[in-house]
Amino acid sequence: MSILEDAYLPTDEELTTQEVNLSGPVLKAAAFHYGNACLAENNEFMLCRTETNDPRACIKEGKAVTNCALNFFRQVKKSCSAEFMQYYNCIDKSSTDQAYSPCRKTQAVFDKCMKDNLNIERAPFDYFARVQVHKTNRPRPLEEPIPHYPNTPVALPEDAPKPPAKYGSRYLGLW
Amino acid sequence: MATAARKQDMPPEGGYRAIPYKRIPARQFFSGSTLIAGYLGMTAGAAYVFYLNSLHNHIEEIEARSGRLAIQPILVAERDREYLKQLRRNRDEEAKLMANVEGWKVGTWYGEPIYETKPDAFIEPAFHEYYAHTDDWSRRLRQFFVWWS
Repeated sequence: MSILEDAYLPTDEELTTQEVNLSGPVLKAAAFHYGNACLAENNEFMLCRTETNDPRACIKEGKAVTNCALNFFRQVKKSCSAEFMQYYNCIDKSSTDQAYSPCRKTQAVFDKCMKDNLNIERAPFDYFARVQVHKTNRPRPLEEPIPHYPNTPVALPEDAPKPPAKYGSRYLGLW
Repeated sequence: MATAARKQDMPPEGGYRAIPYKRIPARQFFSGSTLIAGYLGMTAGAAYVFYLNSLHNHIEEIEARSGRLAIQPILVAERDREYLKQLRRNRDEEAKLMANVEGWKVGTWYGEPIYETKPDAFIEPAFHEYYAHTDDWSRRLRQFFVWWS
Protein backbone atom coordinates (compact mmCIF):
# COMPACT_ATOMS: atom_id res chain seq x y z
CA MET A 1 0.00 0.00 0.00
CA SER A 2 1.30 3.41 -0.95
CA ILE A 3 0.03 5.17 2.21
CA LEU A 4 2.98 5.35 4.59
CA GLU A 5 2.79 4.17 8.17
CA ASP A 6 3.31 7.64 9.59
CA ALA A 7 1.28 9.49 6.95
CA TYR A 8 -1.72 11.37 8.24
CA LEU A 9 -5.04 9.59 7.88
CA PRO A 10 -8.02 10.89 9.86
CA THR A 11 -9.30 8.59 12.57
CA ASP A 12 -12.75 7.05 12.53
CA GLU A 13 -13.98 9.54 15.15
CA GLU A 14 -12.98 12.43 12.92
CA LEU A 15 -14.74 10.86 9.96
CA THR A 16 -17.93 9.65 11.59
CA THR A 17 -20.91 11.93 11.28
CA GLN A 18 -24.58 11.52 10.57
CA GLU A 19 -24.95 10.78 6.86
CA VAL A 20 -27.75 11.79 4.54
CA ASN A 21 -29.66 8.56 4.31
CA LEU A 22 -31.55 9.22 1.08
CA SER A 23 -31.61 7.53 -2.28
CA GLY A 24 -30.86 8.95 -5.71
CA PRO A 25 -34.34 10.02 -6.91
CA VAL A 26 -35.00 11.85 -3.64
CA LEU A 27 -31.73 13.75 -3.88
CA LYS A 28 -32.35 14.50 -7.53
CA ALA A 29 -35.85 15.76 -6.84
CA ALA A 30 -34.55 18.11 -4.18
CA ALA A 31 -31.40 19.07 -6.11
CA PHE A 32 -32.40 22.50 -7.37
CA HIS A 33 -33.62 23.74 -3.99
CA TYR A 34 -30.86 22.03 -2.04
CA GLY A 35 -28.23 23.58 -4.31
CA ASN A 36 -29.64 27.02 -3.64
CA ALA A 37 -29.95 26.50 0.11
CA CYS A 38 -26.43 25.12 0.60
CA LEU A 39 -24.63 26.96 -2.20
CA ALA A 40 -21.87 28.40 0.01
CA GLU A 41 -21.03 25.09 1.70
CA ASN A 42 -21.11 23.17 -1.55
CA ASN A 43 -18.89 25.62 -3.38
CA GLU A 44 -16.46 25.78 -0.48
CA PHE A 45 -16.18 22.00 -0.38
CA MET A 46 -15.84 21.52 -4.12
CA LEU A 47 -13.25 24.30 -4.32
CA CYS A 48 -11.24 22.71 -1.52
CA ARG A 49 -11.56 19.31 -3.10
CA THR A 50 -10.41 20.37 -6.58
CA GLU A 51 -7.73 22.77 -5.33
CA THR A 52 -6.00 20.34 -3.02
CA ASN A 53 -7.05 17.09 -4.74
CA ASP A 54 -6.71 15.52 -1.30
CA PRO A 55 -9.73 14.12 0.58
CA ARG A 56 -7.86 14.42 3.89
CA ALA A 57 -7.73 18.21 3.59
CA CYS A 58 -11.48 18.73 3.18
CA ILE A 59 -13.03 16.70 6.00
CA LYS A 60 -14.31 19.78 7.82
CA GLU A 61 -15.86 21.25 4.65
CA GLY A 62 -17.40 17.89 3.78
CA LYS A 63 -19.01 17.64 7.20
CA ALA A 64 -20.41 21.14 6.76
CA VAL A 65 -21.94 20.04 3.45
CA THR A 66 -23.56 16.97 5.01
CA ASN A 67 -24.79 19.00 7.96
CA CYS A 68 -26.34 21.62 5.72
CA ALA A 69 -28.00 18.90 3.61
CA LEU A 70 -29.43 17.28 6.73
CA ASN A 71 -30.84 20.58 7.94
CA PHE A 72 -32.33 21.24 4.53
CA PHE A 73 -34.05 17.88 4.36
CA ARG A 74 -35.33 18.25 7.91
CA GLN A 75 -36.92 21.54 6.90
CA VAL A 76 -38.44 19.97 3.81
CA LYS A 77 -39.80 17.11 5.85
CA LYS A 78 -41.32 19.50 8.33
CA SER A 79 -42.95 21.91 5.89
CA CYS A 80 -43.48 20.25 2.50
CA SER A 81 -43.45 16.56 3.18
CA ALA A 82 -46.49 15.55 1.14
CA GLU A 83 -45.61 17.73 -1.86
CA PHE A 84 -42.04 16.51 -1.86
CA MET A 85 -43.08 12.89 -1.60
CA GLN A 86 -45.43 13.33 -4.55
CA TYR A 87 -42.68 15.00 -6.57
CA TYR A 88 -39.91 12.48 -5.97
CA ASN A 89 -42.34 9.64 -6.55
CA CYS A 90 -43.04 11.14 -9.96
CA ILE A 91 -39.32 11.64 -10.67
CA ASP A 92 -38.62 8.06 -9.65
CA LYS A 93 -41.36 6.41 -11.67
CA SER A 94 -41.92 8.57 -14.76
CA SER A 95 -38.74 7.84 -16.66
CA THR A 96 -35.77 5.52 -16.71
CA ASP A 97 -33.24 8.29 -16.13
CA GLN A 98 -35.04 10.37 -13.50
CA ALA A 99 -35.74 13.15 -15.96
CA TYR A 100 -37.34 16.35 -14.74
CA SER A 101 -39.52 17.05 -17.77
CA PRO A 102 -42.38 14.55 -17.14
CA CYS A 103 -42.99 16.00 -13.67
CA ARG A 104 -43.62 19.68 -14.26
CA LYS A 105 -47.02 19.67 -12.56
CA THR A 106 -45.90 18.06 -9.31
CA GLN A 107 -42.80 20.20 -9.52
CA ALA A 108 -44.90 23.36 -9.64
CA VAL A 109 -46.77 22.26 -6.51
CA PHE A 110 -43.51 21.50 -4.69
CA ASP A 111 -41.88 24.75 -5.84
CA LYS A 112 -44.81 26.77 -4.59
CA CYS A 113 -44.72 25.06 -1.20
CA MET A 114 -40.98 25.65 -0.85
CA LYS A 115 -41.38 29.28 -1.84
CA ASP A 116 -44.27 29.93 0.54
CA ASN A 117 -43.08 28.01 3.60
CA LEU A 118 -39.30 27.99 3.48
CA ASN A 119 -38.64 30.91 1.13
CA ILE A 120 -36.28 28.82 -0.99
CA GLU A 121 -36.49 29.51 -4.72
CA ARG A 122 -35.92 26.87 -7.34
CA ALA A 123 -32.66 27.58 -9.13
CA PRO A 124 -32.78 28.21 -12.90
CA PHE A 125 -32.56 25.00 -14.91
CA ASP A 126 -28.89 25.46 -15.82
CA TYR A 127 -27.71 27.20 -12.68
CA PHE A 128 -25.38 24.50 -11.34
CA ALA A 129 -23.97 23.80 -14.78
CA ARG A 130 -22.70 27.36 -14.97
CA VAL A 131 -19.30 28.48 -13.74
CA GLN A 132 -19.60 29.29 -10.04
CA VAL A 133 -17.77 32.24 -8.52
CA HIS A 134 -17.07 31.69 -4.84
CA LYS A 135 -15.43 33.97 -2.29
CA THR A 136 -13.56 32.12 0.42
CA ASN A 137 -11.28 32.78 3.38
CA ARG A 138 -9.27 29.66 2.80
CA PRO A 139 -5.70 30.53 1.76
CA ARG A 140 -4.76 29.76 -1.80
CA PRO A 141 -2.69 26.55 -2.01
CA LEU A 142 1.02 27.06 -2.57
CA GLU A 143 2.24 26.75 -6.11
CA GLU A 144 4.29 23.67 -6.60
CA PRO A 145 7.93 24.69 -7.02
CA ILE A 146 9.85 23.46 -10.04
CA PRO A 147 11.68 20.35 -8.82
CA HIS A 148 15.45 20.42 -8.77
CA TYR A 149 17.30 17.14 -9.13
CA PRO A 150 20.90 17.33 -7.89
CA ASN A 151 22.13 14.30 -9.83
CA THR A 152 21.22 15.67 -13.28
CA PRO A 153 24.25 15.57 -15.62
CA VAL A 154 25.64 18.96 -16.60
CA ALA A 155 24.35 20.17 -19.94
CA LEU A 156 26.73 20.86 -22.85
CA PRO A 157 27.76 24.51 -23.15
CA GLU A 158 26.10 26.48 -25.91
CA ASP A 159 29.27 26.77 -27.97
CA ALA A 160 30.43 23.19 -27.62
CA PRO A 161 31.78 21.80 -30.90
CA LYS A 162 29.30 19.51 -32.62
CA PRO A 163 31.17 17.64 -35.35
CA PRO A 164 29.21 15.42 -37.74
CA ALA A 165 28.78 11.84 -36.58
CA LYS A 166 31.84 9.80 -37.39
CA TYR A 167 30.05 6.60 -38.45
CA GLY A 168 26.65 8.02 -39.39
CA SER A 169 23.42 7.13 -37.67
CA ARG A 170 22.97 3.79 -36.08
CA TYR A 171 19.24 3.73 -36.68
CA LEU A 172 18.36 0.05 -37.21
CA GLY A 173 22.04 -0.47 -38.02
CA LEU A 174 21.30 -0.03 -41.72
CA TRP A 175 22.39 3.49 -42.57
CA MET B 1 -59.93 -35.22 -103.00
CA ALA B 2 -60.84 -32.01 -104.50
CA THR B 3 -58.15 -29.48 -104.68
CA ALA B 4 -59.03 -26.70 -102.27
CA ALA B 5 -58.83 -23.26 -103.65
CA ARG B 6 -55.73 -21.69 -102.29
CA LYS B 7 -56.13 -18.36 -100.60
CA GLN B 8 -53.19 -16.34 -99.50
CA ASP B 9 -53.36 -14.53 -96.14
CA MET B 10 -53.57 -10.90 -96.86
CA PRO B 11 -53.80 -7.80 -94.65
CA PRO B 12 -57.29 -6.70 -93.81
CA GLU B 13 -59.02 -4.16 -95.87
CA GLY B 14 -57.40 -0.80 -95.44
CA GLY B 15 -54.22 -2.32 -93.96
CA TYR B 16 -53.16 -3.11 -90.40
CA ARG B 17 -53.57 -0.71 -87.54
CA ALA B 18 -50.59 1.43 -86.82
CA ILE B 19 -48.27 -0.11 -84.21
CA PRO B 20 -48.41 2.07 -81.07
CA TYR B 21 -44.70 2.48 -80.53
CA LYS B 22 -44.83 6.11 -79.51
CA ARG B 23 -43.95 6.81 -75.86
CA ILE B 24 -46.86 8.11 -73.82
CA PRO B 25 -45.34 10.10 -70.94
CA ALA B 26 -47.04 10.10 -67.51
CA ARG B 27 -49.18 13.03 -66.68
CA GLN B 28 -47.11 15.73 -64.99
CA PHE B 29 -48.49 17.35 -61.88
CA PHE B 30 -45.45 19.50 -61.12
CA SER B 31 -42.77 20.93 -63.24
CA GLY B 32 -39.13 20.16 -62.46
CA SER B 33 -38.41 23.54 -60.94
CA THR B 34 -41.50 23.27 -58.70
CA LEU B 35 -40.31 19.86 -57.48
CA ILE B 36 -36.85 21.18 -56.63
CA ALA B 37 -38.30 24.22 -54.91
CA GLY B 38 -40.72 22.01 -52.94
CA TYR B 39 -37.89 19.68 -51.90
CA LEU B 40 -35.80 22.57 -50.67
CA GLY B 41 -38.75 24.09 -48.87
CA MET B 42 -39.71 20.89 -47.07
CA THR B 43 -36.09 20.22 -46.12
CA ALA B 44 -35.79 23.71 -44.70
CA GLY B 45 -39.00 23.23 -42.71
CA ALA B 46 -37.88 19.85 -41.41
CA ALA B 47 -34.49 21.27 -40.48
CA TYR B 48 -36.19 23.97 -38.46
CA VAL B 49 -38.33 21.42 -36.60
CA PHE B 50 -35.23 19.31 -36.02
CA TYR B 51 -33.49 22.37 -34.60
CA LEU B 52 -36.38 23.06 -32.23
CA ASN B 53 -36.35 19.46 -31.05
CA SER B 54 -32.60 19.37 -30.53
CA LEU B 55 -32.83 22.63 -28.59
CA HIS B 56 -35.39 21.01 -26.33
CA ASN B 57 -33.21 17.92 -25.90
CA HIS B 58 -30.20 20.09 -25.18
CA ILE B 59 -32.07 22.00 -22.50
CA GLU B 60 -33.18 18.76 -20.86
CA GLU B 61 -29.63 17.47 -20.94
CA ILE B 62 -28.37 20.64 -19.27
CA GLU B 63 -31.07 20.39 -16.62
CA ALA B 64 -30.13 16.79 -15.86
CA ARG B 65 -26.47 17.73 -15.60
CA SER B 66 -27.27 20.71 -13.42
CA GLY B 67 -29.25 18.53 -11.03
CA ARG B 68 -26.43 16.00 -10.85
CA LEU B 69 -23.85 18.70 -10.16
CA ALA B 70 -26.02 20.19 -7.41
CA ILE B 71 -26.02 16.97 -5.39
CA GLN B 72 -22.43 16.04 -6.21
CA PRO B 73 -20.94 17.65 -3.05
CA ILE B 74 -23.02 15.46 -0.70
CA LEU B 75 -22.05 12.32 -2.56
CA VAL B 76 -18.36 13.22 -2.79
CA ALA B 77 -18.20 14.21 0.88
CA GLU B 78 -19.80 10.95 1.98
CA ARG B 79 -17.64 8.91 -0.38
CA ASP B 80 -14.45 10.62 0.83
CA ARG B 81 -15.17 9.81 4.45
CA GLU B 82 -15.85 6.18 3.71
CA TYR B 83 -12.81 5.99 1.44
CA LEU B 84 -10.49 7.35 4.12
CA LYS B 85 -11.92 4.94 6.68
CA GLN B 86 -11.22 2.08 4.30
CA LEU B 87 -7.67 3.30 3.70
CA ARG B 88 -7.04 3.23 7.44
CA ARG B 89 -8.54 -0.26 7.66
CA ASN B 90 -6.28 -1.38 4.80
CA ARG B 91 -3.20 0.06 6.47
CA ASP B 92 -4.02 -1.56 9.80
CA GLU B 93 -4.64 -4.84 8.04
CA GLU B 94 -1.28 -4.66 6.33
CA ALA B 95 0.46 -3.89 9.61
CA LYS B 96 -1.23 -6.93 11.18
CA LEU B 97 -0.44 -9.18 8.23
CA MET B 98 3.22 -8.24 7.97
CA ALA B 99 3.89 -7.99 11.71
CA ASN B 100 6.18 -11.02 11.68
CA VAL B 101 8.19 -10.02 8.63
CA GLU B 102 11.49 -8.57 9.66
CA GLY B 103 12.38 -5.19 8.22
CA TRP B 104 8.92 -4.61 6.79
CA LYS B 105 7.65 -1.06 7.03
CA VAL B 106 4.03 -0.43 6.12
CA GLY B 107 3.57 1.54 2.92
CA THR B 108 7.05 0.74 1.67
CA TRP B 109 9.05 -2.13 0.21
CA TYR B 110 11.27 -2.99 3.19
CA GLY B 111 11.70 0.69 3.98
CA GLU B 112 11.93 1.92 0.38
CA PRO B 113 8.96 4.19 -0.37
CA ILE B 114 7.10 3.86 -3.65
CA TYR B 115 7.00 7.60 -4.29
CA GLU B 116 10.01 9.67 -3.36
CA THR B 117 9.70 13.17 -4.67
CA LYS B 118 6.53 14.25 -2.85
CA PRO B 119 6.45 12.57 0.57
CA ASP B 120 3.46 14.57 1.86
CA ALA B 121 1.25 14.28 -1.20
CA PHE B 122 -1.82 12.09 -1.06
CA ILE B 123 -1.45 9.52 -3.82
CA GLU B 124 -4.42 7.26 -4.21
CA PRO B 125 -3.56 3.59 -4.03
CA ALA B 126 -3.97 1.62 -7.23
CA PHE B 127 -7.16 -0.32 -7.75
CA HIS B 128 -5.91 -3.80 -6.95
CA GLU B 129 -3.92 -2.46 -4.04
CA TYR B 130 -7.03 -0.92 -2.55
CA TYR B 131 -8.83 -4.26 -2.73
CA ALA B 132 -5.82 -6.32 -1.67
CA HIS B 133 -7.14 -7.25 1.77
CA THR B 134 -10.79 -7.86 0.91
CA ASP B 135 -12.34 -11.02 -0.46
CA ASP B 136 -11.89 -11.30 -4.19
CA TRP B 137 -15.60 -11.19 -4.89
CA SER B 138 -15.89 -7.57 -3.69
CA ARG B 139 -13.09 -6.63 -6.04
CA ARG B 140 -14.77 -8.40 -8.94
CA LEU B 141 -18.11 -6.77 -8.22
CA ARG B 142 -16.51 -3.34 -8.27
CA GLN B 143 -14.35 -4.05 -11.29
CA PHE B 144 -16.80 -5.79 -13.60
CA PHE B 145 -20.41 -5.55 -12.44
CA VAL B 146 -20.32 -1.81 -12.16
CA TRP B 147 -20.56 -1.77 -15.96
CA TRP B 148 -24.11 -3.05 -15.83
CA SER B 149 -25.38 -0.69 -13.18
